[in-house]
Amino acid sequence: MDVFILVFVFIFGLVIGVPVAVTLGLASMAYLFVTDIPLVVMPQKMYAGMDVFVLLSIPGFILAGNLMNSGGITGRIIRFANAMVGWIRGGLGLTNIAASMLFGGITGTAVADAASIGGVMIPGMKKAGYPADFAAAVTAASSTVGPIIPPSVPMIIVGALSGISVGKMFMAGAIPGIMMGLAMMVTCYIISVKRNYPRQEWQGVSELARSFFAAFWALAMTGLIIYGLISGLATPTETAVIASVYAFVVGAFVYRELDIRDFPKILIDSAVSSAAILVLVGFANVFGWILVSERIPQAIANAVLSFTDNRFLVILIINILLLFVGMFMETIAALIILFVPLLALAQAVGIEPLHFATFAVLNLMIGLTTPPVGVCLFVCANIARLPLMPVVRAILPFLACNIIVLLLVSYIPALATWLPSVIFP
Amino acid sequence: MSSMMKLFTRMFRIFAGLAFATMILAVLTQVIARTCSSSETWMNWFSFACFSAPVWTEELTRYALLYLTAFGVGLSFQSGDLVNVDVICESLPGKGPWVLRLISAVLGFLVCAILVLPAWTFVSIGKMQTSPALTVRMDFVHASVFVLLLSLALFFLARVIGMLTGREDGLPDREWDDT
Repeated sequence: MDVFILVFVFIFGLVIGVPVAVTLGLASMAYLFVTDIPLVVMPQKMYAGMDVFVLLSIPGFILAGNLMNSGGITGRIIRFANAMVGWIRGGLGLTNIAASMLFGGITGTAVADAASIGGVMIPGMKKAGYPADFAAAVTAASSTVGPIIPPSVPMIIVGALSGISVGKMFMAGAIPGIMMGLAMMVTCYIISVKRNYPRQEWQGVSELARSFFAAFWALAMTGLIIYGLISGLATPTETAVIASVYAFVVGAFVYRELDIRDFPKILIDSAVSSAAILVLVGFANVFGWILVSERIPQAIANAVLSFTDNRFLVILIINILLLFVGMFMETIAALIILFVPLLALAQAVGIEPLHFATFAVLNLMIGLTTPPVGVCLFVCANIARLPLMPVVRAILPFLACNIIVLLLVSYIPALATWLPSVIFP
Repeated sequence: MSSMMKLFTRMFRIFAGLAFATMILAVLTQVIARTCSSSETWMNWFSFACFSAPVWTEELTRYALLYLTAFGVGLSFQSGDLVNVDVICESLPGKGPWVLRLISAVLGFLVCAILVLPAWTFVSIGKMQTSPALTVRMDFVHASVFVLLLSLALFFLARVIGMLTGREDGLPDREWDDT
């Protein structure tokens, strides 16, 4: 009965549109009322949830991404990506995907990627003769690699929830992220050949070199972050703050496109975005504590295991559930709510936490491009000045390709666990 | 937005920014001090400026993050960063979405307002403790949760009043973008 109230109030809050964080608080409060547990436990658990060392790196990575975004990297990255792949059939589509992969190594935010690259590439592709729905679909689909290729805020959250180091989580996302990008490039190429989309002239090695050097300082941030994490010289928080300082110096003094007067606003906006994530973690800690004390994760695991203990089927069930929830709920919120209960189920059939964490994040990223709540889909349809449905239709081949990569990562653990095991033996 | 909420918004933005700046400075202090203390040449040349890696920076960073959240959370509700599932409520006909936005804001206000007193109890529990490195009284640190709930309650209440007086429609407000 107590658990029923918890679940009922939670679903009621979500359906009527109460912010997810507050819904978690509302449901937890209802549970505490009926079970006569003092409410002081809520602030106490919220405090404990937010005062976690790993979470300290979130504002730093968000700030670094926002500073780079305001510091003139978009044009440089697109130019370099175009010099690399623009000469192939469907070149601008491929450029779009390659730029998202490079961008993902710097900012790690799908929506920022969709807005920044989409703002330049969607009008550019339309002008070059690509249909607007295809341009929007390529941009939306490719933006999802951002939070999979390191750095990645969802990976930090998962690290905090599971106790896996941020460095390992980042490395676990590298191969799946690159696979997803390459698979989308192949899909884009096949569609482009079939529909005879245009290609550009090869611009020569000199343009490739020039564009690389122009983008070098932005691209080097990916190297700086990875080196900071795998060398052990700096904690994830220190790496994030150093990356922010680096992004500021590059944007303000190297590229000279970041107006120093804009810095306070970027700093505060990054703080506000971080606060929204952290309060979600705080309220989710209360909710999670109730779930654990009521042994809900074990109950879910037992319920599924009574139906099947086949690892293949359990992975499929987890993926279908996450894809379904990802269609309706924001990625980080879904991750925070579902990760712990599903981890118990995954571990019960022998899935490593690092492997599970990687395919769970990959899965929920796909939700950014599915209706009815696909933020990247909305952003790109808006830039292309199209209603949602044509973009949804055009994105289907890319969704299919992303789901194939998801299944590969889900059923071949080494794709997620091999790189971290080599780097952090 | 009423002029009082504009004032609060500006104030919370400044405090959130200051908390973030404190975090960044604390982390940089640790990085610089550690780099200096590990380099003998630097130690010889700039021994007056260099000191061994301080132990208090990690604590200060954690506490600054708590206050960053406390001051930023109300603003994140105002801006729409505090996500909700609006696919059902916004697809209702007529005044339906407006009514549900109002109910959401009222519920949000009630949750935070009810928790303010327990949060104060949690603050007072910290009175007897001090942090190990900074030796600050823990009630000052626990107060971050109190501020968080109070500020969120304030922004929810402002949304409710704004909707009832017809000044706003209950959708995220980005008016603060120019502050």
